[in-house]
Amino acid sequence: MTAQQDIPAKPLPAISDFNRPFWEGTRVNEFRMQRCNHCKKLWAPNGPVCPHCFSDDYHWEKLSGKGKIASWVVFHKLYHKAFANEIPYNVAFVELEEGPRVIANIVGVDNKDIRIGMPVEAVFEKINEIVTVPKFKPR
Amino acid sequence: MGTMRDRAAIIGVGNNQYGKMTAAVSPLVPLAAAFKNALADAGIQRDEVDGILVNIGTPFGVDYDQVSEAFGLDIRFSDQTWTHGRQMSGVLAHAAMAVDAGLANYVACVCSINWARAGTVGDHGQFQDDREIGGAHFEHPYYGMTSPGGAWAMAARKYFDRYGATSADLAEVCVSIREHALRNPLAVMKKPLTVAEHQASRYVCEPLHLYDYCQTIGGACVVIVTTPERARNGPHKPIYIAGHQGMCAGRAEATGARPGLGIHQQDESYPVPRERDLLVYKMAGVERSDIDAFYTYDAMSSIVWMALERFGFCKPGEAWQFTKGGRIGPGGELPVNTHGGLLSEAHVSGWNHIIEMVRQLRGECGERQLPNAELLQWGTNRGDSLILRN
Ligand SMILES: [Zn+2]
Repeated sequence: MTAQQDIPAKPLPAISDFNRPFWEGTRVNEFRMQRCNHCKKLWAPNGPVCPHCFSDDYHWEKLSGKGKIASWVVFHKLYHKAFANEIPYNVAFVELEEGPRVIANIVGVDNKDIRIGMPVEAVFEKINEIVTVPKFKPR
Repeated sequence: MGTMRDRAAIIGVGNNQYGKMTAAVSPLVPLAAAFKNALADAGIQRDEVDGILVNIGTPFGVDYDQVSEAFGLDIRFSDQTWTHGRQMSGVLAHAAMAVDAGLANYVACVCSINWARAGTVGDHGQFQDDREIGGAHFEHPYYGMTSPGGAWAMAARKYFDRYGATSADLAEVCVSIREHALRNPLAVMKKPLTVAEHQASRYVCEPLHLYDYCQTIGGACVVIVTTPERARNGPHKPIYIAGHQGMCAGRAEATGARPGLGIHQQDESYPVPRERDLLVYKMAGVERSDIDAFYTYDAMSSIVWMALERFGFCKPGEAWQFTKGGRIGPGGELPVNTHGGLLSEAHVSGWNHIIEMVRQLRGECGERQLPNAELLQWGTNRGDSLILRN
């Protein structure tokens, strides 16, 4: 195992003008998504226009933060040194109750007990004053 | 409606001797060998090449301007695709359109990869990781989603769960493709593989085992394209590009999956195949049942299933049964990747598949030669496809 001092900090999300409201939401423990004011649909991943009707008239909406696991993997090989203490760790696609799927880690459960279809809900992990990363735990 | 059918031909192919390279080896070095081999194979001189198309540029490949300078070419038509695997068939189509349109007489399609220069694929800081909507393989570095293999593993897990397939079923794909490689002196993998060895190998990104992953070692391929008129003067039988369809993109598509699987934003009720997934047969004027062997981008074993389903060789959810019992291996009903593919020959982004298809259609493949090979298809889980004929 790599010595603690050799482990770099985890990378931070790339925050841009169009996804900033999402990261402002996680800071106050809200899972937000863009909803189109024209066709009324939600979309992920965040983007500057509605991919369904191409309107740029939208608002950010607080979602339930609830969903189910759509698929999941476990990284056994270490690709990024920042995760040296977490190998093997999981990454999942979570299908939100509202429809769209998002990538996240699943916490509060052994990797061997994760199943497709498992109901989960968002939890929020504060990294620093700017960034809080949403993860999901079984509910 | 326009058609590309038989309006361009491949007259020369060349590759280097595939094998491990250190990061100190410039990808220009293996490419020089491949380029010389392709020119000799095509029976043309270096100064006749007036078009160059590059698939995979810097940092681990080559760029069009650098190749042209280094090799002393005089180019009037050039272009380069994303530094990425997969775009191969579109590059070949671009070459065909260029010679047909009179933009160049002889187009060299080149790809050289030194994977050692990529570091560990998926390290943060790679070009694909830093898009604010996630990378091309759903890279989200802050969640540790930092490897292309993660995307394929996500789709494989979903497929297992939805259709009742297992990793041992997937192992049969790896075993069959290895069987092909054993008949190919160029292949880097020289030993037989068993389902048991596959199952005993370590996980890289679970549920994918080590042997589900391709050989990212490095290599160079050159494919020379010209018009049918010029092709007839060459030393070999021209190999015609009979049909092509492009790579699909949009919310129905996802890396590692085929439409309708339910990965990323895919709708699970999406029908497979759709009419546009089969246009390549129409353009070539052939039926799927006429295809003598199938070639597909096998960076991970699981996308072989996705491609077979996408082109209708079997129904959605049935590829894991279709690939059992050596049906895609040597002498099988539908041989797949008769050179050993990315899994067992080498990862040259699919260009090594095209070279194999050309050699099979010319009858140059010795021990692994397909009997009466006349029509071969390239097709991937992303929908792009080529049909080559002799
Ligand atoms: Zn809309």
